[in-house]
Amino acid sequence: MDREPLDRPVTLAVVEDLPVVLDGIRSWVDADPLRRVEIVASGNTVDSVLDGAGADADVLLLDLELDNGVNTLPRIPELVAAGRRVVVYSVSEDDATVMAVLQAGASTFIAKNETREHCVDTIVAVARDRPYVPPVMAGALVAADGQTSRPMLSGREREALLLWFQGMNKQSVALRMGISEATVKQYIERARVKYASTGRAAPTKTTLLARAIQDGLITADDIIEYQSLAADNHARD
Amino acid sequence: MDALTASETSVRRNYSLGARRAAVSIVALWHVGFDLVATIGSWEFYRFPWLSGLAWLLYTAIGVVAAIALLTERPLRFGVWPYAVGTLAVSAIVVAACQPGDVVNAADWAWGSVGWLAMILFWPRPTWLRDLSVFLLANVVVTLVGLALAGGFDPLSLSKFLVVSVGAISLQAGASAGGHALDLAARWAVENSNRTARADADRKAADQVHADRLARYAEVRSAVAPVLNLLAEGADPADPDVRHESAVGAARLRRLIAETDDAPDPLLHTLRACAFDVERRGVVVLFLTAGTVPPLPLDVRRALTEAPIEGMARARRQARVTLVATPREVIVSVLTDAPSLPVAGGLRADGVATRVETENGGTQLWIESRWTAQ
Repeated sequence: MDREPLDRPVTLAVVEDLPVVLDGIRSWVDADPLRRVEIVASGNTVDSVLDGAGADADVLLLDLELDNGVNTLPRIPELVAAGRRVVVYSVSEDDATVMAVLQAGASTFIAKNETREHCVDTIVAVARDRPYVPPVMAGALVAADGQTSRPMLSGREREALLLWFQGMNKQSVALRMGISEATVKQYIERARVKYASTGRAAPTKTTLLARAIQDGLITADDIIEYQSLAADNHARD
Repeated sequence: MDALTASETSVRRNYSLGARRAAVSIVALWHVGFDLVATIGSWEFYRFPWLSGLAWLLYTAIGVVAAIALLTERPLRFGVWPYAVGTLAVSAIVVAACQPGDVVNAADWAWGSVGWLAMILFWPRPTWLRDLSVFLLANVVVTLVGLALAGGFDPLSLSKFLVVSVGAISLQAGASAGGHALDLAARWAVENSNRTARADADRKAADQVHADRLARYAEVRSAVAPVLNLLAEGADPADPDVRHESAVGAARLRRLIAETDDAPDPLLHTLRACAFDVERRGVVVLFLTAGTVPPLPLDVRRALTEAPIEGMARARRQARVTLVATPREVIVSVLTDAPSLPVAGGLRADGVATRVETENGGTQLWIESRWTAQ
């Protein structure tokens, strides 16, 4: 868990039309002992949030299916192209939805069942342009990687993601794999970075890759390889 | 009748081909052994010997064409009738080649033997009996006309004609009928063996259904017998252990019912059905899946789900059930607060490995079943 102090709280804008869900998010943000996140705007639609107080928020938390029947997936590419860090959360937890959200350029996907434990950590990591992989997204990455003819994940990365998806905490995963917790975190985050490079290009993604090199998660050589995979994906589109 | 199997067809073909070969052999033997001998032996007595020789060659030519067509099962070019007329012409030519006194004698070899050629010409036709009769009748007329023109309507010649005609016609029609009867017999034999095979298959299917039913009863008995025995021995239904045994029995029954349902994804269907039952007991079940499950045989599905379902059934408050599937790997896992799991491994299948371990300092049980494509 990333506990390094911030000079100021992360500003968060939330697009959510169910008051009870919004209350839940507020309570989880308030429950963080370090007070790392501050909700600066919320509203029913993307436009109402971004036109108002949310215009300069560090992170945009976006409900994938608004209660009025609007699916926000098509809005993601323009938001990330404008440099926004988008965290999508949804009741749909299937791997197809997760991969579609990541392909659209969102920084992270959280399933609604895991927002309680993971939303604050996710938002803080995303605000710092660091990868964060909640368990449901880990499962989707393992499944997606097993389906391609050119898997990108190493056996150890797969194993770490799988145990994380199965519900173990990172300490348990580390014990089971006989490695340190920091290495588990590294495996999981590196998997995310590998997949970040295959989707749509976006300013946030470039920063993510740059940070990953800075943190020693990957090397610049890896990036070239991943980008060529991304080029393949585009050629197939 | 049912569609013929390859072996049935080949039985019929063998019979049919044997009869055809026999018919062609008769014609060849007759034509060389009798017709040729008669032509050469009577050479000096013919009015026009070369005409008889020509007729023998024409017969030979038609015979070769008809034999090839019959043995290779290909239709004759121009149909059968031009050849039939040619064959009739052989009969007429030999009559013309003979001295008037020799018509229907040994020198007039053709009138008795053209029927053999006609037999193989008409052989493959469904209307062979009618066609052969028409031909033989026409041959009788041709020969009678020849006999009349030669002024041979004397009692001796006529009676000789009658005897030879009846003999030849009954031999030729008889051989043809015999050959076709062989074909029919082959068909009956195949139909009969089909009936036997069907009866055999029905009996085997009934045996299989019976065996499956017995196996099912045995499974149901082993699923619920322990808890029923406990209750019969006076165990208290309010005892948490008894309640858990009951829950486990219910989960096993549920699995047995669910796995025979016709669902698009039977593995997921079975797991969901069990998760649903466990939830109704008040256990919070989080069921997460990623990927599409490839088609798996029943024994693999059973081996994959056995331990996870037992784990779910023994959950006290919560269970996290996950399934990750790729085309070459399916991993089912349960992380739960169940206290323990009796040693699993009753059900085994190729490529399936199961692990049951305690987790988080003994507070949780982690069960993982993994199928890997061989």
